[in-house]
Amino acid sequence: MLDRLNETLDYHALNAMLNLYDAEGNIRFEADRMAARQYFLQHVNQNTVFFHSLTEKLGYLVEEGYYEAEVLEQYQPAFLQKIWDAAFAKKFRFPTFLGAFKYYTSYTLKTRDGKRFLERYEDRVVMVALALARGDEGLAMSFMEEILSGRFQPATPTFLNAGKKSRGELISCFLLRIEDNMESIGRAINSSLQLSKRGGGVALMLTNIREAGAPIKGIENQSSGVIPVMKLLEDSFSYANQLGARQGAGAVYLNAHHPDILKFLDTKRENADEKIRIKTLSLGVVIPDVTFELAKRNEPMYLFSPHDVQKVYGVPFSEISVTEKYEEMVEDKRIRKTKINARAFFQTLAEIQFESGYPYIMFEDTVNQMNPVDGRITMSNLCSEILQVSEASEFNDDLSYSKLGTDISCNLGSMNIAKTMDGPDFGASIETAIRALTAVSEMSAIDSVPSIRRGNDESRAIGLGQMNLHGYLAREHVHYGSDEGVEFTSVYFAAVAYHALRASCAMAREKGMTFKGFEKSKYADGSFFDKYVTRDWLPESETVSKLFDGIALPTRTDWEALKSDVMEYGLYNRNLQAVPPTGSISYINNSTSSIHPIVSKIEIRKEGKIGRVYYPAAFMNNENLEYYRDAYEIGPEKLIDTYAAATEHVDQGLSLTLFFPAEATTRDINRAQIYAWKKGIKTIYYVRLRQTALEGTEVQGCVSCTL
Amino acid sequence: MKDTVTSPAVPRAINWNRLQDEKDLEVWNRLTVNFWLPEKVPLSNDVQSWATLTDAEKQLTIRVFTGLTLLDTIQNSVGAPAMMPDAQTPHEESVLTNIAFMEAVHARSYSSIFSTLCSTREVDEAFRWSDENPHLQAKAKAVLETYAAGADPLKRKIASVFLESFLFYSGFYLPMYWSSRAKLTNTADLIRLIIRDEAVHGYYIGYKFQRALERESAERKAELKDYAFSLLFELYEIEARYTEELYDGIGLSEEVKAFLHYNANKALQNLGFEALFPPEAAEVNPAILAALSPDSENHDFFSGSGSSYVIGKAVATEDEDWDF
Repeated sequence: MLDRLNETLDYHALNAMLNLYDAEGNIRFEADRMAARQYFLQHVNQNTVFFHSLTEKLGYLVEEGYYEAEVLEQYQPAFLQKIWDAAFAKKFRFPTFLGAFKYYTSYTLKTRDGKRFLERYEDRVVMVALALARGDEGLAMSFMEEILSGRFQPATPTFLNAGKKSRGELISCFLLRIEDNMESIGRAINSSLQLSKRGGGVALMLTNIREAGAPIKGIENQSSGVIPVMKLLEDSFSYANQLGARQGAGAVYLNAHHPDILKFLDTKRENADEKIRIKTLSLGVVIPDVTFELAKRNEPMYLFSPHDVQKVYGVPFSEISVTEKYEEMVEDKRIRKTKINARAFFQTLAEIQFESGYPYIMFEDTVNQMNPVDGRITMSNLCSEILQVSEASEFNDDLSYSKLGTDISCNLGSMNIAKTMDGPDFGASIETAIRALTAVSEMSAIDSVPSIRRGNDESRAIGLGQMNLHGYLAREHVHYGSDEGVEFTSVYFAAVAYHALRASCAMAREKGMTFKGFEKSKYADGSFFDKYVTRDWLPESETVSKLFDGIALPTRTDWEALKSDVMEYGLYNRNLQAVPPTGSISYINNSTSSIHPIVSKIEIRKEGKIGRVYYPAAFMNNENLEYYRDAYEIGPEKLIDTYAAATEHVDQGLSLTLFFPAEATTRDINRAQIYAWKKGIKTIYYVRLRQTALEGTEVQGCVSCTL
Repeated sequence: MKDTVTSPAVPRAINWNRLQDEKDLEVWNRLTVNFWLPEKVPLSNDVQSWATLTDAEKQLTIRVFTGLTLLDTIQNSVGAPAMMPDAQTPHEESVLTNIAFMEAVHARSYSSIFSTLCSTREVDEAFRWSDENPHLQAKAKAVLETYAAGADPLKRKIASVFLESFLFYSGFYLPMYWSSRAKLTNTADLIRLIIRDEAVHGYYIGYKFQRALERESAERKAELKDYAFSLLFELYEIEARYTEELYDGIGLSEEVKAFLHYNANKALQNLGFEALFPPEAAEVNPAILAALSPDSENHDFFSGSGSSYVIGKAVATEDEDWDF
């Protein structure tokens, strides 16, 4: 009954047909391609402002205050003509409806009434390239080349904003500390508002805030703990958004040994009271190794008052390792403590994850052991892939800084693994991406939050991510999570790490400067490179060797040379890699998200701005479906194995979501968490569930509803 | 037992470990893990989107929701309780109490939508409209008559399945339509949770009807089938006019009717009867049909809560799990 496929249907209906099998049980990819075509015919072409020439277009856009004149003035008009011609000569087409729809609804420049389009995809790419290259013609060309070919995709804030006159920031992500005083809390709320207004997600660390019932100025039972602070933050994020383009979004992290931990988790309960319920703020829990040890021995776990810990040790709670000091704190009478059952804690964690998908988890000791730079990592961010060190600030009564600390920002961008593997020069593609991300860091100065500005100025931290792993493997007829799949991941990420470090070292040499604190890092003493100069990270199986045919992979000798270069010249960026979940940009880029397995052959995507849209996995057709087993079928172990292989070579984190059928139990989730921790995973992002429709109630012939 | 007639009948304690019908437990489990409250959906994220609707669209949306509120109220306070005395097993009674309660949650959640998006005046006006709308009242009456005391228990089930699987859908169409147009997407999430529940309710009551029907005589079977189809015709007539009144203004009546046909067939299928409308008449806009499936939706977690989370089964870990 649904076999009509004709052009009278509107593009939404055509797109939705992707989710409904045809009479022969095939997925209707052609309906989606037709939807993309109809979208251009019925909507885009009719609503695009027409210009006779590039000069007329640029003149108008600058005159009307749409484009930043300064970006274009750095180049000769002849060069502008050349780069635009080169871009349009590539004849870019969106292969899926969602890619086109997402781009035109959320990214492209529109007239101020929002009704007409002023840019095509090529225009946006060229403007991003010109803005990031800051007058360097050669660099501008290679940025354009890398982005338009799909090998490199800047993250949303950069891709959306670069080159526009009225715009938000280019940075994706911010992380702020909160210390145990009212000035710091107030400043954090203000900073959250400021950062949300400019775009980007904000994560805050609550670990240092004293618990509910703790004394204030020595008077007992005065503090209200972390929940009211979370409420204030949640409301702040709903208030501020980036010119309406993106909803403000925030996350909060709390150490598992904070006395408010169970209250913190209960905010996400299905039946939580309205006064404490947290709807849109994301939660993360920082778990040290000792918690696992206690649960293993089935012992109680003690929770420690941050206020007392700070008094005893003279540093905030977050700055000490709970694992290291655990026994000492248990014995110390000056630290008030409560105890809960450690296994029950893990079970509660899993129960809440069932009900809400939260909290994220950061394995504190793993993260710090693998951190190559000096300092302590105490929290992660909204997508749990940023892992950087920070430093506490201190405030005067008027909220000015008496001591300016450092907070964290990170700008992201991802390589499309398939396109990068297909590309002409693997190493050059990585280097260009690193330079583009570094440009974003150099161009950013968040003056509204001085601690962020200082952190960025001193570290030039960036996060190069990866996407389309599943799409690539499937195209090459390798199963996700198979031995070959894991082997590929390991070799690929080792090669990316090599070229990222090489590029950062080259920049340090060119500019004659390194990130602050380089001399105290494991890069400076060379110990970081131990694992690369003592063994090979090269393909072993025939299948994987074939995949890397024609790509020069770094050998031990190459790593030796890099080691001595880095020790001599340093690195320009303190942090280089972070693998984000890539939602929107992977649709535009026709990729599977991040290095995750697909969630479904046909993904149902819902978002405020675009509604419900259907998206086919990259490179999938009716002949190669067997390689597109989804995350629920693949199961947590293979996913964790794949991530563990990548984690080895990523200096920051990777957003790792775990997928379970709704019939799973909290024990299944706990076992996956234990496995992840054991395998050296740094963070866990969401837990996602899929409930199969009760037999007899399902929508018939629906692709995403079948297992 | 030879006791006096005045003493109340003491029900037997329910033993879930002795099941007469496995389906009771299966559905009970499904309904309990699906428990939800409207507070979990960040409806306020739809405030901006609501502002982009025209006045006519807003009025239509509020009216549709008051109509749905009425149906949920009926099912909560009359429908499910009326079926309880007909229950064949104690477990069926328990499932029906759960159904009754969730219907109350549904009725409650429309009010959450109202209080988040609309002014009191608009809402009061819409409730007045629903009190006075002849089609809405007619369909309420048609169902309520079969629910009345002394009515045929199987006819009650028929009416109940029609309500759960058919009558709701003229209203459900609109939020699905909005969400396929990128509007009111969080409201659509909430409605999808309701649809998730109603699908199970209609299926379960239909299943119980089919089991009961098996024990009836051929004559009685024919009578019930006749009854079902004539009630459906009656309800369809009312629904068609109700649909026209609501949707003519935005030109969607034909599409909504196709959707009604689709769901009428679905309701008949739940009862074990053949479809009434030919497939051509039940061709639903794929965007709406695809929007009905709540499973495995991928969303941006920062602006919505989705409709796929459930209350999990808690199982303690064992020593072997901690072997590291």
